[in-house]
Amino acid sequence: MLLTEDTEIDLFVASKIGSFKHIKYHTESSKNTKKCIENLVDIKSLQKDDCVTCMEWGNKDQTEILIGKKNQEIQVYSTLQGFTKTYTADYSEGQVVGLGRCGRRLLSATAGGVVRVWGKDVDIHTGGKLDRMRVCDDDTLFATGGEENDLKIWRLGEAEPVFQAKNLPHDWLQLRRPIWVTDLTFLPGEGGRLAAVCSRHGYVRLYDSRAQRRPVHNVEFQLAATCIAPSFDERQVLVGFGRGQIHQVDLRVGRPDKGYKGCVGSVTCLAAVKQQRLIVSASLDRHIRVHRYETKELLYKQYLTSKLTCVLAQTESSTPLSKQPDEVKDEPVEAETAQDPPDDMDQLFDNMETVGDKPKKIKKEMEESVQLKKMKPSTEGSTVVDLTEEEREDAIKQLLRSTEKQKKKREKKKRQKKAKSVFHNA
Amino acid sequence: MARGKDKKKRKLEKKQEGDDVPKKIPHTLESLREKDETMLANVEVEEQEEAQKDMELDELSSYYQNSYEPKVLITYSDNPHNKTRIFGKELMRIIPNSISRYRQRSSVKRIVQSAIREDVTDVIIVNENQKQPNGFLLIHLPDGPTAHFRLSSCKITPELRKDYKEITTHRPEVILNNFSTRLGLTVGRMLGALFHYEPQFRGRRAVTFHNQRDYIFFRHHRYEFTSDGKRAKLCELGPRFTLKLISLQQGTFDSKRGDYEWIIAGRRHQMETSRRRFFL
Repeated sequence: MLLTEDTEIDLFVASKIGSFKHIKYHTESSKNTKKCIENLVDIKSLQKDDCVTCMEWGNKDQTEILIGKKNQEIQVYSTLQGFTKTYTADYSEGQVVGLGRCGRRLLSATAGGVVRVWGKDVDIHTGGKLDRMRVCDDDTLFATGGEENDLKIWRLGEAEPVFQAKNLPHDWLQLRRPIWVTDLTFLPGEGGRLAAVCSRHGYVRLYDSRAQRRPVHNVEFQLAATCIAPSFDERQVLVGFGRGQIHQVDLRVGRPDKGYKGCVGSVTCLAAVKQQRLIVSASLDRHIRVHRYETKELLYKQYLTSKLTCVLAQTESSTPLSKQPDEVKDEPVEAETAQDPPDDMDQLFDNMETVGDKPKKIKKEMEESVQLKKMKPSTEGSTVVDLTEEEREDAIKQLLRSTEKQKKKREKKKRQKKAKSVFHNA
Repeated sequence: MARGKDKKKRKLEKKQEGDDVPKKIPHTLESLREKDETMLANVEVEEQEEAQKDMELDELSSYYQNSYEPKVLITYSDNPHNKTRIFGKELMRIIPNSISRYRQRSSVKRIVQSAIREDVTDVIIVNENQKQPNGFLLIHLPDGPTAHFRLSSCKITPELRKDYKEITTHRPEVILNNFSTRLGLTVGRMLGALFHYEPQFRGRRAVTFHNQRDYIFFRHHRYEFTSDGKRAKLCELGPRFTLKLISLQQGTFDSKRGDYEWIIAGRRHQMETSRRRFFL
């Protein structure tokens, strides 16, 4: 049942101060060390507004990462070549809140509420502030949402939205329900038909663009939801909250069904690893955590010194750690490879030792046997043996010598002990 | 542990070695504290650099670059009783360039808004329950962070049989003691940022925030060096109080929709796994 094999998952984490890290996560927990973490950005060069606000995969092979920053800079990072391109999204104010690729076109959205299609240089005004823009993997669709700017789904090249969400009816006090979309996601495998939305006002809603404009399902929480990610089954999403909870919400039944504990601060980003069935979460408490999906147990937790904002899990391909940690990484491998030869060597040395030892032993044995021949068995101390006087004297001398030696040894040991003892040192 | 004969031996050894052997320090919860990975003291250079950068770029960095003089607004819950009022006034005497105002039924968010307008850099809100001050909300402006403390064992000057007139108007020296983890550092920095960065040493006033087992003890002293200049005599001026962190939030106050950097509510049993584990 359990996978005992160790598999590696590459995690890319970005933080509030602008650091960008690569972690090689091993499913075998004993292999996770600090050596598996490497910085991809020089920390000394970071400036005040380098906060990473958005991070997405640039292609389906997951070898390209798009990074959006607070200072409106968009960087393209290739896992093979490093940083390749830089764009500046100064067409509107505010930080970069969404990135993605539709075909080969780069899309970016800023908090001011404008989505730009790079290359064509088309600006789409979404009519309000934006908190998140996401591109659908399956189609040329993208969705936007923000504070008092409900979900809208757009098709690339069209000026009007394909789908525009409608708020729920007024509540029982005839008050309007406030809207604040903090994060949204297209459910995979539905062709961009289904989109789930979470809100700081504490609701998680599922929209079906074919069925109706109002949400198909509405799940209320008393907490501010900050991030959402598609889960493992269809119509299930993972939602992270501002007070550090992670829940899985089943949008067929319309209620939360799993909770993942451990986060002490706000959850900022979630990622699901399909194959190993793991949930990776980045949190403002400066830790990255990995939970097992079924058992909900916390498998891994690592402190990363700065407040984390985004995390991506690379599942399609893998990236080796670059130079410096690579050497470090290689060490264990080398050690492993080196360990085998040492075994042989050890054996060799063992053999040698035995070769060297044996004659001595043999000699000793020989001597002993000679002595034994000379003396009666176990009569080292006794002098009442039928020996000649000379031999007797020799034996006495030997005995004396041996006792002296023993005494010396004992004294030496005592001295060592004393030197070791705490009192003496102190 | 070896006992019996060994103990005798040890005693003998001790006798032989004489009195010049220093006394051993007994173990305490602090000295046996569980290692915290976020402590700055025992990490590699690279991480230390990053933490340094993290602090350089955070919201409190502008104070530590001495770019502004802090201006503090102290306010209360609605209809504060006598003790809380006096406590607030004493805080006002301690913190230079601070004003105390009654809340006038205003919400915290509105207070924050108007405080930003008035160029206030920090807001303190003292909550009261059963005539005793019991909450301490510290908001750094203009954009956070917000720390919420539980306030306990508060003793105002009349209760300590001191006179508030002893408190001079000199700017005090601030001592932040024992804030070691990353969270503790942030909290310590927030508390430090309440005071003017340039103390007036003439006044010989010292304000201490001492962290011990996650409780932050506040004391206020006037010191005087003895004639030989080796030691200092202390004279407590009051008030005294103890703070315990409940939550630290990013941004200004928004308890419902805010992003918390650290919050203990709802996961106390999960987090307080051992008596020797501390967060600050």
